[in-house]
Amino acid sequence: MTKDFKDTPITPDRFMTEFMRWKRGSITRRHFMGVTGLGLATAVLSRFPGAGVNPAFAEDLGTQMAIATWPNYHDPATFENFTAATGVAVEVNVFGSNEEMLAKLQAGGAGWSLFVPTNYTISTYAGLKLIDALDLSKIPNFSPSTQNPRFTSEGMVDGTTYALPKNWGTTGFAVNTAELKAPLTSWKDFFAVAMNEADGRAMVHDYQLTTIGSALVSLGLDFNSTKPEDLAQAEKLLLEVKPHLFAINSDYQPSMRSTDAWMTMCWTNDGAQLNRDMPEIAYILGTDGGEIWTDYYAIPSSAPNKAAGYALLNFLMDPAVAVKEHIANGAPATDSRVIALLPPEITSNKIVYPDEASLTPLEFGAAATLTDPGRAELMARFKSA
Amino acid sequence: MRVFLSAVYLFLYAPIALVVVFSFNAGRSATQMTGFSLQWYGKALSNVFLTDALKTSLIVAFTSAALAAVFGTMAAMGMERLGPRLRAVFDGMLAAAIVVPGVVIGIATLVALAGLFGVINPVLAELSSTAPQFQMGYLSLIAAHGLFSMALVAMIVKARIASLSRDIVEASYDLYAPPFATFFQIVLPQLRPSILAGFLMSFTFSFDDFIIAFFVAGAKTTLPMYVFASIRRGVTPEINAIATMVLVASLILIALAWLLMRERKPHAA
Amino acid sequence: MALSAAARKRWVTAALLAPAGLWLFFFLALPFLAILVFSLGERAPAGGYQPALTLANYLNLPARGAAFLNTALLAPVGAALCLAIAYPAAWFLALRVDPRHRLLLVALMIVPFWTSMLVRTYAWMYLLGARGIPQLLEMIGIENIRLINTPGAVLLGIVYGYLPLMVMPIYVSLEKLDRRLLEASSDLGARPMSTFLTVTLPLSMPGVMTGVALVSILLLGEYLIPQMLGGGKVYFIGNALVDLFLQSRNWPFGSAIAVTLVLGVVGVLLITMRIAWKVSGTRQMDLV
Repeated sequence: MTKDFKDTPITPDRFMTEFMRWKRGSITRRHFMGVTGLGLATAVLSRFPGAGVNPAFAEDLGTQMAIATWPNYHDPATFENFTAATGVAVEVNVFGSNEEMLAKLQAGGAGWSLFVPTNYTISTYAGLKLIDALDLSKIPNFSPSTQNPRFTSEGMVDGTTYALPKNWGTTGFAVNTAELKAPLTSWKDFFAVAMNEADGRAMVHDYQLTTIGSALVSLGLDFNSTKPEDLAQAEKLLLEVKPHLFAINSDYQPSMRSTDAWMTMCWTNDGAQLNRDMPEIAYILGTDGGEIWTDYYAIPSSAPNKAAGYALLNFLMDPAVAVKEHIANGAPATDSRVIALLPPEITSNKIVYPDEASLTPLEFGAAATLTDPGRAELMARFKSA
Repeated sequence: MRVFLSAVYLFLYAPIALVVVFSFNAGRSATQMTGFSLQWYGKALSNVFLTDALKTSLIVAFTSAALAAVFGTMAAMGMERLGPRLRAVFDGMLAAAIVVPGVVIGIATLVALAGLFGVINPVLAELSSTAPQFQMGYLSLIAAHGLFSMALVAMIVKARIASLSRDIVEASYDLYAPPFATFFQIVLPQLRPSILAGFLMSFTFSFDDFIIAFFVAGAKTTLPMYVFASIRRGVTPEINAIATMVLVASLILIALAWLLMRERKPHAA
Repeated sequence: MALSAAARKRWVTAALLAPAGLWLFFFLALPFLAILVFSLGERAPAGGYQPALTLANYLNLPARGAAFLNTALLAPVGAALCLAIAYPAAWFLALRVDPRHRLLLVALMIVPFWTSMLVRTYAWMYLLGARGIPQLLEMIGIENIRLINTPGAVLLGIVYGYLPLMVMPIYVSLEKLDRRLLEASSDLGARPMSTFLTVTLPLSMPGVMTGVALVSILLLGEYLIPQMLGGGKVYFIGNALVDLFLQSRNWPFGSAIAVTLVLGVVGVLLITMRIAWKVSGTRQMDLV
């Protein structure tokens, strides 16, 4: 990191002002890093000198816990460091969709003490009493004032905090530009090219929210629609495109890397990882719409080891830890303290931090889609057709 | 005809050989050989999630196979002593445990245990706030795997008992040997190869099962679940290394089972 | 304690059968009863199960008609392809191979079945992907061939996965065939083909039917092969079940499909056994 830092802490407000100035381009990154960069890091580290003496760890934490999360989403060192600091071994379970997580929790005895649901599912979990309201006094590393409310509001249900943000991101599509020369800018293009130039080479998610949502968007309809007539149109398009698809699968990285697939629906973090290793893979946000999301941390009410769940949550909220997670997974942060610690090549990466204008058409997923039987059945018909 | 048979063996073994060859790849690619290296074995073995999954699988496979061997053998011997009607019931249940698809066993166990825990856990919580809560995990895995395994052992041992000469057992009774002595000195040695073979087959089955574990593992991850997740997520030679190790482990078990099964030939004569 | 000999015998029998009986009751009978009950219920608004008494889930079975049809089509085709390769192989192993090598060759045939199905299917994912066979084909000028994620790939995976299971019962029934019958037949002037059709084939039918039954039954519940080699586009009942329980959380409908699947398995078993008994005239089964 740069050497020209000031040793005085920066206030969250000042930070956000500087950050927005920089994002608007009115100051240079150098200036930005200078006023915020390591100065902030020092401030953070002096306030939280080490996980070992953290108040959240005063209780008996037991020896093990499990976390449910997404693939390619953590720095494995995070859990090793947590184990080293607390003696609690962490078992990591990965999932392909929010529905799958909900199904496991509903079946009872999932055994997780912490998990990573996406924004639109929180209210359902809270309504079903599957997650606990969080005791923020046990999470001193969480700083509400440095969070960007745009990405964090859905962690609260009726004024009670049930979940804390991990990363935000978008759902766009990745294109191998070495194989596909056609310019693609929208979901309309995506489905059109999937049936022509990319015949047999395009992938869609095995996930109702994004696959049905993007199909709706390409037809000029609402991403979150549960109206039968809208869904019928989306179904028609999806059934039409299906014979041309390479696969219906949320794990598209292997196929994109092997060039079996040339184009796929894609999340920010995967887009960043693919582009990092194969620069010919571009990540595109639909100009006609698409999803913007935030993943949260929440504690299941059935958690067998809540003390360890809180301890890990607090550990992960430490900006010094969160920044490593960010660098490992490539999904943007909601906490300005974390952004301040990032190396410039990440903050300047347009896949990770896109321009505000390209975010405007995007929508957050709606809670109704999670439990809507119409969307679930549409997905099943699409897959079995 | 010889060509045909060779082609069949080639078809069976070439894909496996390819997986093994690429596990020794020096590069990151699982498809382009760039040199020889053991690094992916090192990486795989130092991966905590993988070794955890391996440990879970070993515990589940060993326990379920051991319980299946004991209970399955007991059942095979007990069934000999049953009347025809009850015997048919047991035969039917054992056959069902073998032919009902794994995916249904997994689902049914999940549904039943979820229902059961849904009743028991609130009661426990009512009794005391520190009372343990029932969860899916080792026990549900062992129970669901043990079901198939026990039926398998019972079938194998039953076939062996049927071929055993009853005269030996009856002679032993006639000589006033106590039943337990008869069992341990006369019957068990004759059954041992079948029981061990059943144990090893059960172990292999449990060690390789994906679909049942997928439903009933709770927060646990078994090795096949881990391998499945890795295959879905990304293809590096680490998966090939894991696959090769799994393959070698199951080959050793099969070789053992085969040697034991073979041993019974001279006895049967 | 003065127990009569008969009473003691009964106690010992009960003690021997108790663990297995309890296991079968708690983890086979009870779970099956549970899905039977669930199959008559309703999906709760947020997913899962809520009590009801309705046949709606069974009436809704056509909604997964495509999955049933795929399975009902690809499973028998897969089993038939297996048989087409397995029968000649088993015949050769049992009747033509040098007896000194026979044991080893037979062992080599079964070994793959007891190794990881996941790993063997992964091998094909890899061979059928862009960097595998298609790349080789490109070298000889055949371009843009796509093999993975097609019904053909799933069929290949099925044949590959279940071939050993088909070979074994056929081999066992051929191996114990009385060779003097074959000699007698040819001594009496029968041509090899007619010896095969009138003697060998009928006598090996129990093995054939056992193999067909085993493979078909396992295929009815298959999940991994279509999932890995079909790319989510080739959908079996197993895949529909996984989705219903782990994605859309429609437990009652999933339970109804599971019950139907079990009935299908029983049906296949009964039909194949009937045929085997009729053809061979005995009720014996050749198990692996």
